[in-house]
Amino acid sequence: MTTQMRLRGGSRDVDYASSSQVRIQLSTRDNDISLPKNPGPLLVNTNLRRYALSTLVNHLLKTEKPIPFEFLINGTFLRTTLDEYLTSRGISSEATVPLEYVRAAIPPVYKTSF
Amino acid sequence: TTHLQSSSYLSPRSAEEARRLWSHYDSLTHDLSLSLTEQFRLILAPTLATKMRGDFRTGKRLNIKRIIPYIASQYKRDKIWMRRSIPSKRNYQIMLAVDDSKSMGESGSGQLAFETLALVSKSLSMLEVGEICVVGFGNEVHVAHDFDKPFLSEAGAQIFQHFTFQQLKTNVRKLVADSITLFREARRKTFNAATDLWQLELIISDGVCEDHDAIRRLVRQAQEERIMIVFVIVDALLKEESIIDMSQAVFEPDAIGETKLKIKRYLDDFPFPYYLVVGNVRELPGVLAQALRQWFAEVVDSG
Ligand SMILES: [Mg+2]
Repeated sequence: MTTQMRLRGGSRDVDYASSSQVRIQLSTRDNDISLPKNPGPLLVNTNLRRYALSTLVNHLLKTEKPIPFEFLINGTFLRTTLDEYLTSRGISSEATVPLEYVRAAIPPVYKTSF
Repeated sequence: TTHLQSSSYLSPRSAEEARRLWSHYDSLTHDLSLSLTEQFRLILAPTLATKMRGDFRTGKRLNIKRIIPYIASQYKRDKIWMRRSIPSKRNYQIMLAVDDSKSMGESGSGQLAFETLALVSKSLSMLEVGEICVVGFGNEVHVAHDFDKPFLSEAGAQIFQHFTFQQLKTNVRKLVADSITLFREARRKTFNAATDLWQLELIISDGVCEDHDAIRRLVRQAQEERIMIVFVIVDALLKEESIIDMSQAVFEPDAIGETKLKIKRYLDDFPFPYYLVVGNVRELPGVLAQALRQWFAEVVDSG
């Protein structure tokens, strides 16, 4: 049953970075790093790069020691922000982006910026 | 056409296809629209059975609540009678705002949006309580049916021509801002200032929108101008893509300024205080009526 009704009063002000967002669908072919259960649709800012996405997957996997991940969209490695990737390929942020993650082959040097 | 009509808004559907679509969704929602009209009639039409009200020196029936103060005041506070009150005439301006963005088509919500649009616009037009306006939004906001146009039999098909679910962004902030402008204009054009004008906006969308803070501020502004906004989320057909389970990953600075990842339930920060999630058009008359009833109760209470 998907009907629910909620009437809320008041308001809370939450600060969001004013950037656009996109729905992603995380997946991997590697069984020992697969998500315990499908987290459902996930909305992220399009200004994220590999490092932030790697942090996200580690968070979802509850890893004790962070595993560096690389990301593939339709077979191509993500080397820019999601926004730059989508824009350069003319993909609309209205669609769900399939994001496949793999262990990074060579541990990359982490940049401090997101 | 209005000034909100966008120049970049192109390629409406052919008239023939729109007519075919409308008649399909019209017949699909026929029985439901009768039931929704009945619900609307009960909620929106001012009650013809008048109520006994007031504090008068003479009248039809004693107001029990006034008796004790009356005696206590040595029979000075003598407005203890109620009279029949005549309900004031209400007029409605109701805007249906339908999400025309691509995500509607991708998630399969487009069909549900068409059903909802056919259902609600038909029900409202049968009710004949006021003016109906239909707008589409995405990148831009476009008016598919203006307040001052009567909702005639061909109106539905003409409205359907405007929706293709191809817009590449979902700018809900712009929708709310433009809606306020449209409502202000419509209010200004209302001739009879003596009647009570109620303005209501129903947004029909898959609910995925950004800029929550700015939207929240605009919704508050609309409330101050007595424009009621109900957000009807037409949920995805696929259960695993339901907005109810959608979460949002946010990188935010914590107390000491360090960036931290937080995962929140998307709907917990939804900027519209009145929203409904509907997975099937059959559920709509019930939940919509419930929301409107609650709104009216609040409005009547507050003023
Ligand atoms: Mg959208």
